[in-house]
Amino acid sequence: MIINDLKTVWSMAKAFTKRFFRDKTALFFTFLFPLIFLFVFGNIFGKNSGPSFSVALINKSQTGFSKQFVEDFKKGEVFKVQESVDFDTAKEKLGRGELDGIIELPVEFGQVVDNTPTGKVLTYYDQGDETLASTLQAVLDVVLEGVNSQFIKVSPPFTLEAKPIQTANLTRFDYTFAGLIGFSLLSMAIFSMSEGFTSDKKTGSLRRMQVAPIRPWQLILATAMNRIFIGILTVVLMFIVGLIVFDFNMRGDYLSFLLFTVIATTCLFGFGMAIAGWARDANQAAPLSNLISFPMMFLSGVFFPTFLMPEMLQKITVFIPLTPVVDGLRLILTEGKTLLELGPQLIIIGAWTVIIYVVSFKVFRWE
Amino acid sequence: MSDAIVKVKNLKKRYGTKTVVNDVSFDVHEGEVFGILGPNGAGKTTTLEMIEALRPIDGGSVTLAGIDVASNPHKIKQAIGVQLQSTSFFDHLTLKELLHMFGGMYHQKVHPNHLLEQVNLADRAKSEVNTLSGGQRQRFSVASALVNKPKVLFLDEPTTGLDPQSRRNLWELIQNIQKQGITVVLTTHYMEEAQLLCDRVAIMDNGKIIALDTPDNLITELLNKGFKKKVEVQKADLEDVFIELTGKDLRE
Repeated sequence: MIINDLKTVWSMAKAFTKRFFRDKTALFFTFLFPLIFLFVFGNIFGKNSGPSFSVALINKSQTGFSKQFVEDFKKGEVFKVQESVDFDTAKEKLGRGELDGIIELPVEFGQVVDNTPTGKVLTYYDQGDETLASTLQAVLDVVLEGVNSQFIKVSPPFTLEAKPIQTANLTRFDYTFAGLIGFSLLSMAIFSMSEGFTSDKKTGSLRRMQVAPIRPWQLILATAMNRIFIGILTVVLMFIVGLIVFDFNMRGDYLSFLLFTVIATTCLFGFGMAIAGWARDANQAAPLSNLISFPMMFLSGVFFPTFLMPEMLQKITVFIPLTPVVDGLRLILTEGKTLLELGPQLIIIGAWTVIIYVVSFKVFRWE
Repeated sequence: MSDAIVKVKNLKKRYGTKTVVNDVSFDVHEGEVFGILGPNGAGKTTTLEMIEALRPIDGGSVTLAGIDVASNPHKIKQAIGVQLQSTSFFDHLTLKELLHMFGGMYHQKVHPNHLLEQVNLADRAKSEVNTLSGGQRQRFSVASALVNKPKVLFLDEPTTGLDPQSRRNLWELIQNIQKQGITVVLTTHYMEEAQLLCDRVAIMDNGKIIALDTPDNLITELLNKGFKKKVEVQKADLEDVFIELTGKDLRE
């Protein structure tokens, strides 16, 4: 009996999946949207950028020393140097905020006096931005100090020594990636799910199914199977793009990643299912979807780590369903944890899965 | 012919304070076409949907092929075929795929081509429902209601909104289904349709059945009361003219 019921579920899930892949609009939004999202946020959060200054460098001097100075200056990572701009253009750019300062090497820069090259570096800054200017000056001072020390040997009494410490060496993208996956799954699970399902209610095609001897759990299961499959495809797609385009550094094992994705997707889709099953139409589904998904997006460490939040809030966010999903993905992807090491996350996800599927079963309506 | 396959006893449905179906009782005999007639809002659809196990029964009882509907909705759904009043099917699936899907819900192996042939849609097997005309859609709906080889087929206003050719075509289809031994229960507000198709009709108004008999008996009864049509009956009417001019062939 149950075998037959499950066969029915399977044939429905197959039909739903076929249907999904023929729906151009759905395909577009389901697969392209997460990718666009990945590109946008990957570029914002993904750059491993330290502090840097954009400056225009205008060299009016012809001396060999000045040419050498310019070459060395450009090699440094601190400055993004624009050359071959005239002063007026540079000034305009400074005014627009495209440049942080203008550096000018005057004609006499690098002239040799008493066997030592000498000269003044002129910097211009926007007087409206004193803080930036003083930082820029301090950095330039250090640069010049380095140059000076080549000519005047002194041994300063106090020195600073900076030592690197070995860390996991995560790039910003590595860290953000798990959040991006979690976010895409959530928006797919809740928004695209409730949208599609309520429109089937509206047209009456769900009601046509109600005529047949199928039970709500069969429809819920078949829909979930279809959606989870699509969710996993999306994650795979995002992962491939992450690897290829963003040089993602995978530290975990693929089996844990896959299994965890299946578990997490199952849980998140439960929320979409509950909303879609309950709502009579899109007007009911949309506000509820927002109400449920927005707190998750902002409190679950999707965009910034939860440890930046007030401690009180942190205690609550742990129990929000998306938090263990994002945490778990992050632990697998960036810290190389296996599924067996994710006990706390799996317990919370498991509890939510049970709760939400019971709820969606209880609140389900055919029309 | 006289065995009752559907037994409806004192059926009631209330929405709030409004009683939509009020103490309705009737039997449907095996193999007949049974019509429920009545104006809009008479309670026809609600009555059907209670029999079909789609709406909770507030009072009274329905048995179908000996099975109590209220306590065995699942078994009932296995045994019947239903065409809903305004039905809709999933988009992006072909007729064939939809029939397979519905068959799967009944644990039945279906032969989509055979079913589609029966409703004259064999050449549209690979089309999607939204490309069909109104009449084709209704016929597909009937085909989808036949996937489980039902004992009783319920058709809720099957010809509403169809052009005269499509209606005639659907009438033939219903007669063919009856010939296969399937009991048909339909609702309609076209009297000529009821007169042509139905072995017996129940006339419903305001949630009650106010008459139940064969069309002929109902007419005779009325005539016996001394009824006379105000206008002399013409030998043909405008519909006959229309069909004579445009032919019976389906336009789709």
